[in-house]
Amino acid sequence: MSGPPGQGADSLLRFADELERQAPATEALRPSPELHLVTFALDREEFGIPIEQVREVIRVGEITRVPQARPHVRGVTNLRGRVLAVVEIRTRMGLPAAEITPRSRVVVVGVHDRILGILVDGVSQVVKVPTETVAPAPEEVLSPGTDYITGVARWNSRLIMLLDLEKVLLLPD
Amino acid sequence: MDADDNAFSELIQDYIVECLPLAEQVGDAFVELERRWRDEDEGADLLEPLRGRLHTLKGNSAMMGLAPAQAVAHALEDVCALLRAEPARRSDEVAALLVGGSGLLIDLVRSAANGSKPEAAAEFVEQVRSLLDASPSASPRRRRGDRRVAERRGDAADSSSSVVRVDFRRLDAMLEVLGEGMIEQEAVAELYRRLPRKVRATDELSDLDRGLLALRKTLKRLEGILMETRLLPISSVFGRFPRLVRDLAQAENKPVRVVTAGGEIPLDKAILDRIGEPLMHLLTNAVVHGIESPEERARAQKPAEGTIDLRATSESGRVVIRITDDGGGLDDAKILAKARALGLESRAADPEQLRSLIFLPGFSTAEEVSALAGRGVGLDVVAHAIHELGGTIEVESRLGRGTSFTLNLPLTLAILRSLIVEVDRERYAVPISHVAATVRVEPDTMHEMNRKGVALWRGDLIHVCDGGTLLGTGVAPNGSRRFYIVISMGNRRRGILVDRLIGHQDIVVKSLDATVGRPDVVSGTTILGDGKVACILDAVRILDQRMSA
Repeated sequence: MSGPPGQGADSLLRFADELERQAPATEALRPSPELHLVTFALDREEFGIPIEQVREVIRVGEITRVPQARPHVRGVTNLRGRVLAVVEIRTRMGLPAAEITPRSRVVVVGVHDRILGILVDGVSQVVKVPTETVAPAPEEVLSPGTDYITGVARWNSRLIMLLDLEKVLLLPD
Repeated sequence: MDADDNAFSELIQDYIVECLPLAEQVGDAFVELERRWRDEDEGADLLEPLRGRLHTLKGNSAMMGLAPAQAVAHALEDVCALLRAEPARRSDEVAALLVGGSGLLIDLVRSAANGSKPEAAAEFVEQVRSLLDASPSASPRRRRGDRRVAERRGDAADSSSSVVRVDFRRLDAMLEVLGEGMIEQEAVAELYRRLPRKVRATDELSDLDRGLLALRKTLKRLEGILMETRLLPISSVFGRFPRLVRDLAQAENKPVRVVTAGGEIPLDKAILDRIGEPLMHLLTNAVVHGIESPEERARAQKPAEGTIDLRATSESGRVVIRITDDGGGLDDAKILAKARALGLESRAADPEQLRSLIFLPGFSTAEEVSALAGRGVGLDVVAHAIHELGGTIEVESRLGRGTSFTLNLPLTLAILRSLIVEVDRERYAVPISHVAATVRVEPDTMHEMNRKGVALWRGDLIHVCDGGTLLGTGVAPNGSRRFYIVISMGNRRRGILVDRLIGHQDIVVKSLDATVGRPDVVSGTTILGDGKVACILDAVRILDQRMSA
């Protein structure tokens, strides 16, 4: 997989921070000709979320299970003294629960005022995708409850599914 | 100085901290008013806020028994009222009187802790009284007044320098950082313990051990001091009840008085912020449903005026608040009837258990729905609020004699002394306040009754459930768990089988993100010494549940 300058979560994080700093200014100049996405892998597919919603990407530490937690909650983990809830996004999307591998990461996202972690199979990179490459997902493949996929970017022979984090994380009881 | 004196001097400090800035604002405003008058502006817009501040000063001074300050504030308030009604009464003399009076007030507030100066206050009140009757005259003394206020303010800054106002959130943040420091200390100590014994025994490293112990003690001391700064006297909540109850009693046409005691007992501000509502609810219930009408009281040969006694006491690191009314008491027959209607009579083996049913949702014995103590928001809401604070609530009652609610609350919410246990390789913190005992499982002591585990503990048969079943990791084969802990609240007890007892630890409570849901068995989380997160068992809710485990 090709990547941004430098690899690994830390350099990715710095790169993401850099982009985040640039993002508001760029947006002010011309109305989003490009989407800035953090992409990650889930079950061999690639998903993207807007970079503004990503605070950092961390390695998976010990995740503590919480008894009687709602479905799709993997547990809680220690993020520098803060207890972070980790959402199992795979089961949320109808996939089997993740096995933690050295490539697994927790993407720490901010949605509204809340900070949550989502467990992903691997973070690939930060990309700028021209908006004209984004098309709606073919209706035939979407089933009820999958409206969290807002579109598909076809870019450099890749398919990146765009996720609406609010909808993904608005967990059904 | 005994404890009461201490508490009183703290209250005086609170009074000074709150009122001195107010008095200074009053002084500033009168100086401004004087300036406006010179410019032929009657300054009507200044008078209303001035009256408000003076009213507060008057009330606070009266509450502290500071008659001179109360009298001066009252007199100044009267002059403001006069000036609003008759702006033409303004004069240099009046301005000087006001500025001088506010200076005196600042002085009185500032020296509240050191006794009063009744003469100066009486003299001022006399001057105001003669002004209110006299006709206007001109005698320019404003320069003198100006200087007096300025001087007084300099002094005031000196005396209040030992008191600093701090945003409560900063105290929270400090406690959080301290908690992290304590976790880090634990982590270093843990690393030390893991060193091979031979390495540990070298001189340098045994010094490290001593250093770590000293650091731990220092952090504990810091925690103690920080906890104290979060404490406020319970009177800050009690104080508003007599007036609220008076208004309510008037609306109900029942003479009721509230007697409070123990207002000096300190409690964590985070708890104080959350007990006002449940207490008001209990007081409302006492007035509306507890105290009888004057006619009924006369028939029962009770004094016409009902009494509600609200007192706080400090008991072994916890605070007990008791609300006692001398009303009609709970009607056991009505409770039993309601219990039957709800299919709960099996849970009412004795009168005590029967009465505790009133804390269940949907329970209310009042026959009429009152606007203020409706059925919808009953005692279950109160009990829930108290349980959420890690507290307990119990009721005692004698028919015809009155009802008493006893709330047992922790001193603080931020730090919880806990027992750490392990179940199926998961660690859990159990608040010590709800742990009655830890018991090693001896062969043939565990029995089964109606497919539920029971054990004989201190002469009683208690239900002992499997920790794995309770926490969702599965049932352990019989006899494989080596311990059980007994959690208790009031007269309810339950055993929970666990694999290991790890030890006692003060934990910093971190709330559970709403995304995780609201599990019945977990009240929050904490970060343990090794940096891993553990869940805190919700002993209260576990005891509330009737689980098949």
